[in-house]
Amino acid sequence: MTTSSYDERLPCGVRVADLLAEGVDHEPASDPTHQATCPFCQSTLRRLRQDWARVEALTREPVEIPPGLIMRIMARVRTLSAQVADSVVLGGVSGETRISHVAMSRVIQHLAATAPDVVFASVQLLPHKPAHPRRLSVAIQLVVLFGPAVKPIAQGVRDRVRRRAPRLTGAELTWIDIHISDITDPLH
Amino acid sequence: MLGSRADAEDVTQDTFVRAWRSLDRFRAQSALNTWLYRIVTRRCLDALAARRTTEQLDAASTESAEGEPAGIVEQREQLESVKRAIAGLPADQRAALVLREFEGLSYDELADVLGTSVASIKGRLHRARLSVLRTIG
Repeated sequence: MTTSSYDERLPCGVRVADLLAEGVDHEPASDPTHQATCPFCQSTLRRLRQDWARVEALTREPVEIPPGLIMRIMARVRTLSAQVADSVVLGGVSGETRISHVAMSRVIQHLAATAPDVVFASVQLLPHKPAHPRRLSVAIQLVVLFGPAVKPIAQGVRDRVRRRAPRLTGAELTWIDIHISDITDPLH
Repeated sequence: MLGSRADAEDVTQDTFVRAWRSLDRFRAQSALNTWLYRIVTRRCLDALAARRTTEQLDAASTESAEGEPAGIVEQREQLESVKRAIAGLPADQRAALVLREFEGLSYDELADVLGTSVASIKGRLHRARLSVLRTIG
């Protein structure tokens, strides 16, 4: 078959391209009655299948996994796992950004400490289990002002941290535990 | 798909790292392998788009070893000509053809992986197959 013959129309009027799905994908003939008696269609289908057999031969070629590739991939994943033990790892198109847990703690501590009726806040980050590059849980200890109801203060801190920490850092907070460790009276 | 062993290794490594990072976003609405095919195909298409046209791809190994039977040499040359024909396809057609013929994906899976309709996949495959046959015929 010549290189141009796939563009041609057979003497019987059928286009060679129209036989493609039948010859390659084993789809049923669009006009089986015609094909059963048409020497042009039959011979073209034979040649088409013969040419396509070369493609099928390539698909049967064994694909060897390059030596060491799996180990290199696993080493990279292990390195990333180790990194997430003390950092939030944010993947990007042109590189990755790592934010240490120290920096994350400072952001969350600032958010909590500047919430209404909070006098002091301390933060402990709890890495996600299983290890996850972006996810963290956090435990926040608060000292709050005497007077206002304690539960709304805690909820206010939780909402503020949940809303703003991901926007400021890119990390995802799955759990925010709040512990009111003391209440202080500004008059005393 | 990429015509370069080194690029293929890079993309494979990157695919598994990305999959590990996004594992929590895998919702099991599609099969795990379809999800992986989607990541790897996207990465391949990105790599092809970023590739400079002058970049040298892996040379075809059609040189015959001494004493190799002529039939084997001819068979290898035929396989290389198919590889070249596939490498010459536009990226979207190449992805469809490779996933269908080499990976055995169904039309529905192809549409899912490539983010298009089954009708569009059939059109791409038809053009890809025709183009390969024209080249190797």
